[in-house]
Amino acid sequence: MSSEASVRVNSEYLLSASPTHSSRGTGLVDESSNIELSPQLRSDLLDLDAWSEILTTYGRTIRVAVALTDSNGRQLGECQNAQPVWRLIHEGLSGMGAGCPFCITRGLPCTAVAEALHTGNPAIARDQAGLTHVAVPLLLGKQRLGAIIAGQVFDRYPEPLSLRRVAKEFGVSARRLWELAREQRPVSSTVLQASGELLGVLGHAFLRQRYGAILEAKLAETNGSFRSLIEGVRDYALFTMDPTGSVTSWNRGAERMLGYVEADIVGRNFSCTFTPEDIQNRLPEKQLRKALRTGHSEDEGWRVRENRKQFWASVNITALLENAGPIRGFAIVMHDATEQRKVANILEEARQARARLQENFLSHVSHELRTPLTAIYFFTTNVLDGLLGDLTPEQREHLSLALENVKQLKDMVSDLLDITRVETHKLTVEPQHASSAKLIAEALATCRTNAAAKNISLRSEAAPGLPFVWADPARVRQILINLIDNGIKFTPAGGTITVESRRFAEDDGFLCLSVSDTGCGISPENRELVFDRLAQVKSTAEASRSGLGLGLFISRELVLRHDGRIWVESQLGQGSTFYFTLPVFSLAKLCAHVFTSANLEAGSVTLIAVDVVAVEGGVQADILFEIRRVLERCIHAFKDVLLPSMSDVEPVVTFFIVACGPSGFEVIASRIVRELQNFDNASRLKPVISSTTLLVPHGHPREEQIDEITARIERLVQAHLLGKERLK
Amino acid sequence: MSEKKILIIDDDQHLVLGLTARLRANGYKVISAADAISAITVARKEAPDLVILDLGLPAGDGFVVLERMRSLADLATTPVIVLSARDPAANDRRAMDAGAVAFFQKPPDNHEFLTAIRLALGETIALSTFLKT
Repeated sequence: MSSEASVRVNSEYLLSASPTHSSRGTGLVDESSNIELSPQLRSDLLDLDAWSEILTTYGRTIRVAVALTDSNGRQLGECQNAQPVWRLIHEGLSGMGAGCPFCITRGLPCTAVAEALHTGNPAIARDQAGLTHVAVPLLLGKQRLGAIIAGQVFDRYPEPLSLRRVAKEFGVSARRLWELAREQRPVSSTVLQASGELLGVLGHAFLRQRYGAILEAKLAETNGSFRSLIEGVRDYALFTMDPTGSVTSWNRGAERMLGYVEADIVGRNFSCTFTPEDIQNRLPEKQLRKALRTGHSEDEGWRVRENRKQFWASVNITALLENAGPIRGFAIVMHDATEQRKVANILEEARQARARLQENFLSHVSHELRTPLTAIYFFTTNVLDGLLGDLTPEQREHLSLALENVKQLKDMVSDLLDITRVETHKLTVEPQHASSAKLIAEALATCRTNAAAKNISLRSEAAPGLPFVWADPARVRQILINLIDNGIKFTPAGGTITVESRRFAEDDGFLCLSVSDTGCGISPENRELVFDRLAQVKSTAEASRSGLGLGLFISRELVLRHDGRIWVESQLGQGSTFYFTLPVFSLAKLCAHVFTSANLEAGSVTLIAVDVVAVEGGVQADILFEIRRVLERCIHAFKDVLLPSMSDVEPVVTFFIVACGPSGFEVIASRIVRELQNFDNASRLKPVISSTTLLVPHGHPREEQIDEITARIERLVQAHLLGKERLK
Repeated sequence: MSEKKILIIDDDQHLVLGLTARLRANGYKVISAADAISAITVARKEAPDLVILDLGLPAGDGFVVLERMRSLADLATTPVIVLSARDPAANDRRAMDAGAVAFFQKPPDNHEFLTAIRLALGETIALSTFLKT
């Protein structure tokens, strides 16, 4: 056959490609459009056993032959309701090969299936014998599954000439072929087109139903295996809840752990597993809210079994979301950690007991060491200060060194005790209103002798106008002295140590203090280690004999107890800088515990100033101490605050009291007057009491109002201290 | 101004010797006692202007001495400074509550210690001196 003829023959295959698309648009499972169907699912969807009934029924009703093909046009299984002419031709054939199963004549393969799958619409083709068929595509979303072919019918009255040619070609009786052809009722291509569309609708409806059935079966299978998996977990309670916290499923582990059987608990709120206190504190709701907000929530705490017995649970709640859409519910995994907790508690108790033993031992040792140390200290200083006569320069030098060693020993004894306090959680700080510049100056004064002995110069730089810090002055001095001494230790003669104080760039609630040296520096791998207990980077013989290597460890603990941070920046050979942060003094923080809604609802806040004026020669410090104690007795701890004396400008020292409530001033002032009358030294002092009352707006005080009151008190305090505007 | 009298109550004879020299050099008269019982006897007999008290003593600890002193009319108002090797964290507040005017852990800084003694004896000291310590 010539190629020219092939083209002509081929063109005859396609009678029409209908522009309509009634067989699509069935709203078929849209979500499948983007998913790749597995070969297994494809073959399940086109399972012949399932399709045979609908195909047979259709074929018999419309009197056409019907068959299913895959997406390559290959026929799947038998042709249903095969028509007589086609059957006669096929009886003599042992297989048609790869061509269209419904075309009798050979030639180029029929492209009706390909066309239908490509356009998504039924495509009709007619072979040379005049037999017509329609290919109806089967689409699942955009996935091409295959096609249904229906036909093997003449679209008009059969032509004897064509049939004789066919009979000759296939070696069958022309007469017989003609008789069979006349028995077949012709179906016009218009009717065939309409039938194809009907077939498309039917086919897709069936396909959709089948797809649903398969998914459901799979889901049931998955659910079943998931469920048996969950059921099998016995050491964990696994259960699910609806969005309100009502239990929707309950595994055997949950039954074992919590005591409820599934039938009893499903439908009940999971809060029944919480302790009454937790329920009162709305913990169940809080946990669900957190899980909803962040996806999950974790917690450890007491939970209650059905028999009211409590156990320590570790709980993980996960929010179940539908494609990041609305919440479907929550899943909970719960583990009984009672035993673990017991073991952890026992270990912690043992650790504490060991630490206490160690503390007792060290405190005893420290006590015993301090007694002889004190005698040595007194004798050394007595001689050094010339109480027993003059000294030669050499004697003085030797005794000075002895005194240095006494001080070192004293510091080591203190460090030993501090370190045990860290372990027994007894290392505490007592913060007060303090000036970082003053603390730095004091620390530098202490270290001056040491530095001078090594010919190291000490410098300090403080940015102007720095706010006060809220810190324990003794402890901050200890930190600074530790860092400075450390710097001296590792800096060669002629070097410099600089101590600075500035605002902390990362958080304006803190100041950042730093101690820089021009010493040997710290290698990167040692930078974190230096803060560890007993860590000391051994570098010089001298360094290794001074100190226990506890200084930085204790410093870090002290900084942490001030809510600060400590770190080091260093380059080998270029020196190190140790930084630590301290919180800025804040009136708001100090007053926070009395500025509660309940206290402020009383309607007013009174600021009371007690100015202590010395008659002559300054104010005696012990009297200030006494006055502070008197004032502490005069206030109501839950409603009032005694502020730290914020001025050390003589001859007036002012104590401020912030009092909440209407009775504030009169009650406190009369109390102060009465108490001071009993005070021996009162006659030599003139405490002047003055006050200002701020009104709090009615209603529930809000945060901004509290901020505003705090700010106004702060201004009044500053104005009073500076003498600009005294309270009346 | 007549010499003020200070009683040191401590069982460590070396400490007493060293501290006595320091106090005498500062113009005070010094007497001492080495245990809780003789401490009270000496105190009643000598009527010191100030007492420096150790806490760990033979025959009763320093708090016992402090309590006893407060209960006796002639010693009730005598200022007491505690000088002890014990941990200030545990004993500072307790000593103050029992009536001591100051607590020092051994070894004390000479300057701070003498300032406290002067304050306790009612000698006027500028606030600036105190703030320096």
